[in-house]
Order: sequence, then structure tokens, then C-alpha cells
Amino acid sequence: MKRRTQWLLSTVFLLIGFMVAVQFQTTSHETEMRDTRDVWEVREDLKTQQEHQQDLLEKIAGADQTIENYEKQTSREQVETLKDSIEYLEKKIGLQKKKGAGVELTIRPIFEEGVAGQEYPSVSPHLLSRLLNELNTYGAEDISIGNERLTNLSPVRDVNGSTYVNNRPIGSLPLTIRVLAEDPEKLQDRMKASPTQDIFNIDNMEIVFEVKEQLVLPKYDDPLHLEILEEAGG
Amino acid sequence: MWLPLLFLIIGVTLGILTDIRIPDAYSDYLSIAVLAAFDTLLGGIRAQLEKTFDDTVFLTGFFFNITLAALLAFLGVQLGVDLYLAAVFAFGVRLFRNLAIVRRIVIDQKLLTKFRKK
Repeated sequence: MKRRTQWLLSTVFLLIGFMVAVQFQTTSHETEMRDTRDVWEVREDLKTQQEHQQDLLEKIAGADQTIENYEKQTSREQVETLKDSIEYLEKKIGLQKKKGAGVELTIRPIFEEGVAGQEYPSVSPHLLSRLLNELNTYGAEDISIGNERLTNLSPVRDVNGSTYVNNRPIGSLPLTIRVLAEDPEKLQDRMKASPTQDIFNIDNMEIVFEVKEQLVLPKYDDPLHLEILEEAGG
Repeated sequence: MWLPLLFLIIGVTLGILTDIRIPDAYSDYLSIAVLAAFDTLLGGIRAQLEKTFDDTVFLTGFFFNITLAALLAFLGVQLGVDLYLAAVFAFGVRLFRNLAIVRRIVIDQKLLTKFRKK
């Protein structure tokens, strides 16, 4: 083989080797997600995970306590404990009245002067769902709309043009929404800064917030439809 | 024969060490280029065994095949037809044919040398 040929061949081989290596790398690293978090982000994640762990441990401790109570007590006391548990659970899902500090939201219509034939505004299910999502995002614990307590199964629907919550119409404006929260001030501030208000304004409605020390949320009084629920394994 | 092998190893190491990754959109082009390179390589070996090897033909074939394959893939992307599959098919068939010819020549030579010994 001539010397020139050999060098040419070598160059071609170099190119081929390079291409194959790059191709190999491209295909083998495709699924791998790169971890680009810096130290602070990792610390933050760690903190949230630790809080989560703490939370879980507390729950486990509580459950253990309940089990212990069952085991130790006489049958009458056991019934008491059972009742306590039921009450606690009913409170948690909204089958009991609940008192506490919270924010009262009043949705009121706005009437512009000089606009003839303005329609009386009403809250659409989309708007209401958006508001509820926002409230839940910002730390709402329990919510009632008018006289309807929201549970995890409460539907917000459009029935023949009017908005229904828990299969009953919410009625016309003004509408009162009561929200219990751990930190009502914060919830109020966050809601005031959110764009949901502007969306309500577009539909000629305004939201008035009021922090209250004592709010009473009504209980949910229909039977819960739990046919589709299944017992968790364990 | 050691120089091309050495360069191949250098190329692979370079490629792995530089940590280059091709974006998804262009991975088709690279895969087809690699295929074209293999095809040219096997073609070169075959030509060498048939004693018709010419370095100019080899070199132009290498670059021409790669360019054509990339062009075909590009055209396919523009037209919305997976034309690069055509290139993959063509190169694949040629690869196997060249490999078969190389194998036959090698076997023939071995058999011939055996016959001569006898």
C-alpha cells in the first residue's frame, strides 16, 4: 500500500471512529435525565422531603396510639374510641360542622354606569372551579359555597345554564364562599394578588375578601356515594 | 495496516472524551452517515481483495455517499416522507452484498491455497 493511501485511509478511519462514538453516545444517553439542581435546590427538596417524613411519622404515631387504645380498653371504652375515630373522620371529610378562622369571600356583581341592558352576571362552573383550585392551591382547608359544604366528591356542574354545587343550584349573586385556613391572612393576600380576580372582573363580578376569626362551615348532609370506591389493599 | 486501526481507536476515544451529543432532530443524519461510512469501508475491503482498489475512488465514494445520504434524509424531512429509510435500506443491502463477496473471496483464496498445496 502506498504511503499516501495509508494516510488517507487513516483519516477516513478517524472520521468513522469519531462518528461512531458520537452516535453511540447520542443513543445511549438519550433516556438519562441530567440532574441540574444546585446545592440550594437540593437542600430545599431535602427539606420538603424531611417535612413530609415528619408528617408521615406523626400520622403513624397517631394511628399507633389509636390501635393501642383499642387493645388496652374495655369494650365500652373501645366503643368510645371508635366513636371518636368516626367523629374525627367525619370532621375531616366534611360531614360535620366546622368552626375556625378563615376568609369570607363575597362575589358581587359590578354594574357599570351608562351601559344599557347589561346582563345580570352569574358565576359559571369554569370560573368557580378555577377559584376553588386557586383557593386549594393557596392553603384552603375547608370550603363552603353558600350553604353547600365542599367535600372531595362535590361536583361543580352546569345544569341548564345555571351552576350547581352538590347537585343543588348556588343561586344568584351575591354569593358567599367561606374558607377555613391555617393562615387566613396569607390566603387572603395571595388571593388578592392572583389573576382570578381580573377574570371575575371581565365577567362583571368582583370578589370581596374578609378575614374572620370565627367562621362556621355547614355540614354536608347528603349521603356520600361511595360505590366506586374500593378498599385499599393491606 | 496498523495506522488506520490506530486512527480508528483515536477517533473513538476523541468522540467519547469530547462528550458531544447530537440533538434529536439531527440524529437521523448521523446514523445514516455512520451507515454510509460502514458501507464505503466494506466496499473498500472488497475492492482491495478484488485488486481494483483505488484511493481516489474510495475517498470520493466515502464523502459522496455520506453527503448524498444526508441530503436524502434532509429532503425526506422537508417532504414529510421518511426518505432516509430508503438510504438505510440501500446501504443495508449493499453492506450485506459486499460482506458476502468479501467472505466468498476469502474462502476461495483459502481453498485455492489448499488446492495448490495438494
